[in-house]
Amino acid sequence: MLLNSVILILQETLEAALLISVLLAINLQFGGGVRWLILAIVGGLATSALYASQMSRVSEWFEYTGQEVTNALLQTSITLLILLCSWTFLRCWSAGHDKVAAHYSFRFHLFATATVLLAITREGSEILVYLMGFYHQASFFHTMASGSIIGFGIGISVGVLILYGLFSLQGKWRVAAIISILALFAGNMLSQATLQLIQADWIESAGAIWNSSSLLSEESLAGKLMYALLGYEATPSGAQVIAYCTGIILVLLTSMLALKMNPTNGKAAA
Amino acid sequence: MYPGLLLGIFSHAAIAATPVIEVEIRDHLFYPSEVRVPANTKVKLLIKNLDPTPEEFESYELNREKVISGNSKVVIFIGPVGPGDYPFFGEFYPNTARGVILVR
Repeated sequence: MLLNSVILILQETLEAALLISVLLAINLQFGGGVRWLILAIVGGLATSALYASQMSRVSEWFEYTGQEVTNALLQTSITLLILLCSWTFLRCWSAGHDKVAAHYSFRFHLFATATVLLAITREGSEILVYLMGFYHQASFFHTMASGSIIGFGIGISVGVLILYGLFSLQGKWRVAAIISILALFAGNMLSQATLQLIQADWIESAGAIWNSSSLLSEESLAGKLMYALLGYEATPSGAQVIAYCTGIILVLLTSMLALKMNPTNGKAAA
Repeated sequence: MYPGLLLGIFSHAAIAATPVIEVEIRDHLFYPSEVRVPANTKVKLLIKNLDPTPEEFESYELNREKVISGNSKVVIFIGPVGPGDYPFFGEFYPNTARGVILVR
């Protein structure tokens, strides 16, 4: 029971921790405060509590596939917000002078707040449903609560490690690492959104296009970590692979456009 | 963004033909714990959670994951998949809530 809750909470925490670390790395580059992050976390906890409390009602929507549709909507929105974050980050980074940087800095904080808020809404609601289910079972609650705290602690630690890792890189390399992580994250989100819509029967699925479970099983600890961080699936459908690649390409294209544009034209295009 | 979306919406008309299989959750156990479904066919899984506590249906082999609140029911579409054994479990009570979908 202890190990179960450690792994469950760790999985849910890792995804948000990775996202927050990357956005914090961008934020520290701007030299801005972290008030936006506190706002996003508090807001995200509030909306996840709302989602968790309404879970059974949401489930009944769209002929009992409301959860999938809601999750797909959240994940698609997160993907779009990541594109906006990448855009504003690179426009600011390439602008060079403070006036333009300040202009993009505000927008970046707005988009980053919304991204984290939506990510916590989805991950947080699952954690809350899990915790609330055990709340009235006194015998389990202590074990489960300790497990959750350990899982949460490990998740946060990994996030801090990623943040320090990003900060140990210099100049262009740091930017490249940040954009790579954002691209993989966007791919993961679009792939998960597609899977949700397949599960709800909104998208037809032709079954798995490969099976890599003998190389890396989703049930192994490494597989679970890869799933939480990168959205690894041992048996993905073709639609998911296309969605994953689309997410990566969208972030890379946005980045290239943001870097190529003349800084003085930036305001008009943004 | 989703080329299959339009096609997917129209496929709702075909739901009536999709076999429905009911599974219940009682005392953190799945009833039945062995579910037989036809191969290469899309199946609608109707899961009723009769426990007051929530559960999360999960199957790595089928790429399915869904929270089921206490005293409620959900629908999960699975397949089409080829013949084989596809285990599933309840992520919140993985020590007891276990089952397998036998695709034949």
